[in-house]
Order: sequence, then structure tokens, then C-alpha cells
Amino acid sequence: MPPFSKVLVANRGEIAIRVMKAIKEMGMKAVAVYSDADKYAPHVKYADEAYWIGPPPALESYLNIERIIDAALKAHADAIHPGYGFLSENPKFAEAVEKAGITFIGPSAEVMNKIKDKLEGKMIARKAGVPTSPGPLKPIESVDEALKVAEEIGYPVMLKAAGGGAGVGIIRVDNPNELAEAFEKSKRLSYSAFGRAEIYIEKAAIKPKHIETQLIGDKYGNYVVAFERECTIQRRNQKLIEEAPSPSINWEERKEIIEASIRFGKEISYFTLGTMEFVFSPVTREFYFLEINKRVQVEHTVTELITGIDLVKLQIRLAAGEYLPFSQEDLKIRGHAIQFRINAEDPLNNFTPQSGYITYYKEPTGPGIRVDSGVELGTWVPPYYDPLISKLIVYGQSRDYAIQVGLRALNDYKIGGVKTTIPLYKLILQDPEFWEGTFTTAYISEKMDYFMTKLREEEERKLAIAISMYNRGLLKRKKEETQKPVVKNKNNWKTYGITLQSSPRVLW
Amino acid sequence: MVMKLVRVQTELGDTYIIAYDQKGEIDTVKIGEKELKVKYLGNGTRENEYLFEINGEIYSAFIEPDGTLIFNNKEFLRLDRIIELPVKEGERVEELIRGKEGEVVSPLFGRVVKIRVKEGEAVNKGQPLLSIEAMKAETVISSPISGIVQKIMVKEGQGVKKGDVLIIIK
Repeated sequence: MPPFSKVLVANRGEIAIRVMKAIKEMGMKAVAVYSDADKYAPHVKYADEAYWIGPPPALESYLNIERIIDAALKAHADAIHPGYGFLSENPKFAEAVEKAGITFIGPSAEVMNKIKDKLEGKMIARKAGVPTSPGPLKPIESVDEALKVAEEIGYPVMLKAAGGGAGVGIIRVDNPNELAEAFEKSKRLSYSAFGRAEIYIEKAAIKPKHIETQLIGDKYGNYVVAFERECTIQRRNQKLIEEAPSPSINWEERKEIIEASIRFGKEISYFTLGTMEFVFSPVTREFYFLEINKRVQVEHTVTELITGIDLVKLQIRLAAGEYLPFSQEDLKIRGHAIQFRINAEDPLNNFTPQSGYITYYKEPTGPGIRVDSGVELGTWVPPYYDPLISKLIVYGQSRDYAIQVGLRALNDYKIGGVKTTIPLYKLILQDPEFWEGTFTTAYISEKMDYFMTKLREEEERKLAIAISMYNRGLLKRKKEETQKPVVKNKNNWKTYGITLQSSPRVLW
Repeated sequence: MVMKLVRVQTELGDTYIIAYDQKGEIDTVKIGEKELKVKYLGNGTRENEYLFEINGEIYSAFIEPDGTLIFNNKEFLRLDRIIELPVKEGERVEELIRGKEGEVVSPLFGRVVKIRVKEGEAVNKGQPLLSIEAMKAETVISSPISGIVQKIMVKEGQGVKKGDVLIIIK
């Protein structure tokens, strides 16, 4: 029995399609919502029904709580899946959905309100005995106070926006001279992005790696953790490549964060899917809790591949009030999975987001490959939303095998019309530092100059060959010799007559 | 040596001014500061496949029915148009390639958040001129040459497109 009859997906692009696939497989109807910019988008076509919710800017469409609930009521949907981003972690939205008599697929507004920001999350983590980074649990008021606190906990320190997310306003400070300027900058960024200027300080991890655990809970206090993911390859605190399991930690450490994550979940009676983000130092072998993400993650796919669980289906069932169908002992890690976020961004130009029509599209297929795409040939990539257009997930029996599959799949993946991060990923996969797994979160920023030189060389080489072809008149494709269909005469005597008549020999 | 000059526009909106010259099987291609020697090796073994050699490495180029060029079955390039540019006598190809000197153009789409120089001020090469905010991050634009700021074309808070002239330095 499907837990609901009709589910509205309050999102767009890749994740909307991913969630709709789960909805369809469970025998329910999928409802899409769309803005003017997404009239012809694949997620709208893929749904069973679709409702318009407003003009292109997200604030007037995908972030418009009223319009989305109106659409759900019009469609008689009995549940809403928020995907990730947009309204997924907004307690006001969860509350409005519940008030309309619709089930919100995610934690309740009550649970979300227990952790309003990063600082509160850190407080709960300390209470639950989850390892956290040294630093006071309150916002810093002035530069003088910041200097004093930083001196106490020791450099390097991190400045963070309490109300922040998506890596905005996070600045690493290595010595007291940089602190004043960084403090003002972080404050300004935080205020313009979230309308709050509260900054807090904590100790920075040495050679940091980003590791997160997949927490799964039902409404009755049962928890499991579907192991961890490593998302260390980032730029400006935005993840680019994610993998599971992490190549950096051992089973003892894995057990430690699994148990800590479960304690955290119990502390706030969390349910459905959640992600506990940690920064891990391979030097001191310490974990520092960062925050909990109260939604399905972009990178949930790698966990699905190594555990065999369909996380989205499970999330829907748990939101409907079902019990967790398995225990921690039932979960096993099998193989290795890597996800590449295909962003419509120009790696040669500071990752500027790109907009345009997809003019050429070839998706990789074959063993060990999964593509969660939000675009197809002819799709318009609008400038209003996240530049993530597709996700390539590869699987192999080991990390080495997964890397081999990854490089092959990236070579096969060809997207025209917008610049993408695919050429950059190909270079990363050929880097011995990536093979060894010794990279830190600074990997992209440290190596970007090298990657950019390589990318430019590739571009110049391609142009040079194209010019050489142009010069030799080779840019036009040869006219194809079309196979002429065999004309079948209705009557063979006709051919006989024609040959006879055209024959120069006169027989009589 | 008189080189031929073309403006190449890729489908992705990048424009390149490229000079080239053919000597037998070898083409000398100049893109910006870079000079590449491309050797044409002839037809490949497949229809619409041609082989080239650059720096001792062999590249196969294949043309798709829609004109897409595929290299070594991995990389690809889609050109919008190639326009031949007349080269007048006495004009130096290098100048045409590099563009006007002293114009600082925006490398990205964003919003000017801070202008750090004034008109009439002297600047050194590498000195920060202004910052542009795009996608939650600030990019500092530095001076490409030493000189005097002649004109500031933008205001703080103004949105800029890629390729917009920001500051003129003489």
C-alpha cells in the first residue's frame, strides 16, 4: 500500500525528477510546480500533473509558501516533498504544510525549531556528547573580543555566520593581523545574505576534510546511520565531488561518529533523513561537528549505491509514520561510489554561473553509472536558480575501480550550449593526489592555477586543430553516401522490355 | 610573414582572434600569446575523421552531422562562426590580438561592491582596483598595467556583465 495517493514536489530540476521517480515507483501520483522560467523544464513534463506558481525569481515562486500550498490543495495532494534547498529546511513552510492538513516529508516544524542556527546546533551537539570544535557558544560582539577568543583557542580559527548556510560568510584566519578585516567582511557577507550579522569563532581543523553521516530516524525513537560520505572536494565551501565510504577514516572512527550521530538524533527526537556534517583532521584524528542538514542531501545518491537503500522512498515512508524497517546491524558497505556535481559554471572564469539552451547532449551509460539529470537536449538553463544541472554517480567494487568508471563516464558525458565543470573533473580524476585521497578542503583553491593552465591548453589545442581544419576546408562534413533503396519494379517484364529497347543491338 | 587573421566565436560565447599561417603540412596557429604548430597527418581510418599532431601527440578530430568537432572521442568543440579579418599593411597582428591597451574589463557577471581607486590616481601593476561580487564571493580586479586611472566607468552597487569596461588606465 502506498503511504500517500498524491505527492507534490516543491522543487525543480534534478532533485524534483529524482523524487518523482520514487513517488511513481511507490504507485503514487507526482505533482510538479513551476515558475515562468521552467515552463518547458523536464521536471514539469515528467510529473503526472503540474501547477504554475509564479514568475522566475525564486522568492516569488519556489520560495512562495502560499502559492505552493495553494497548488497542493488544488491538486488534492496529501503530502509535500521539499527536495533540498529552497523551502526544505524552513520551519515556517513545514508548519504551513501541516496546518493545511498535508504531510510534510521531512522533520516537523517543532524539530526544526530546536536548531534554528549553527550555534544552537553546536550547543545541542555538546550536550549530546558529539565532538565539537573548541570555541565559545555565543556570538562575538567586537574585534577586540574576537582577538581575545582567538588567542585563547589558538590560531588558525574560523569565523562563521551564526545564521549562515551554504558556506557563506565563513572565513579562515591564520594570524591576528588578518582578524579585523576578516571580521568585518564576514559580518557584511552574513548580513547581506541572511539579514543577520552575528558571527562566532571556533578553532579551525588542521588539513581539514569534510565528512558527514547519514542519519535516519523514525517517529518512535529508532535510529540508524547509513555510514558516511566524504565531500572534501569543494570550492568556496560548495561541494563538487562526494564519495562514500570515506577513504580517510577507519572502522573505529566510523563507529565513533555513527554513535555520536545517533545520540544527537535522540537528543532532539529527530526523524526522517538528516545529515550530520563534521570536519575531520587526519593529523589530529579529531572530528568537529559543523551542523545538521534537515533534508535529503544532494549527495544522498552515493549512500544509496553503497548500501542499496532507496533513501527517498524510505524518507517518504518514515514521514508517513512507518517504523524503520532495519537495524544498524543490517547495514553493510558494499563497493565505492563517487558523485560529480555537473554545474553550469565556467571553471576558467571563477566558476561564473552559465545560462543558455542545451544544444548538444550525450549522457554516459553502461556498468556502474547513474545519471540524475535535470536537463535534456533543448532545455533552457535559467540564470535564476542553482547552477547544478545534473549529477553523475559512478560505482565500482573499490575506489580505484570507481575512479576508472568515473573518468570513462566523464569522457562520454558531452553537454553543449553551456560551460560545465566536466572538464575540471576529468583533470581531478587524473591527479595522483586524488587517487591517494590525501586532499583537503583547500584542494581546489590550491590547485586551481594548475587546472586552469591545463584547461586553457586544452581549449587552445582544440581551437588550433579547428583552425587547421578550417584552413584546409575540412570543417564541412563529407556528403554522406546515402544507401539507395532498391527500387522494386512491380513487373519484371517491364525491365526486360526497357533493357531490350535501350540495347543498341538490333536483333531483327 | 603575412599571417591570415580570423575571429572565431564558439557556441559558448567566447571570441578569439587567431592568426595562422600554412607551410606545407604544418600550420602555425597563434592564439593570444600562445603559438602552436599543428601538423596535418591526413584522413583517419573512419569517415569524417582527420588526424593531427601537436607536440608529438596525435589527435583525431571527428565531425558530427551537426558540425560538432570531437577530439579523441573525449573533448568536443562547437563553433558558432569563423570570420576572416582583413590584415592591412603595416598593422601588427599582435596588436590586433591583444585588444586595446589600458581597458580593464569585467571577467564575470556580478555587482561592483567596492571601488578602491579614484580618477587621476596612479596605480601599479597588480594593485587592486575594485571588487565584484558574484555568487556569494568577492573577486578583486587588479590593475593589468602601471599607469594613471583615466576614467572609472562604473559605480559602487552597479551590476556588470562579462566584458564590460570598468576602468581605463593610461
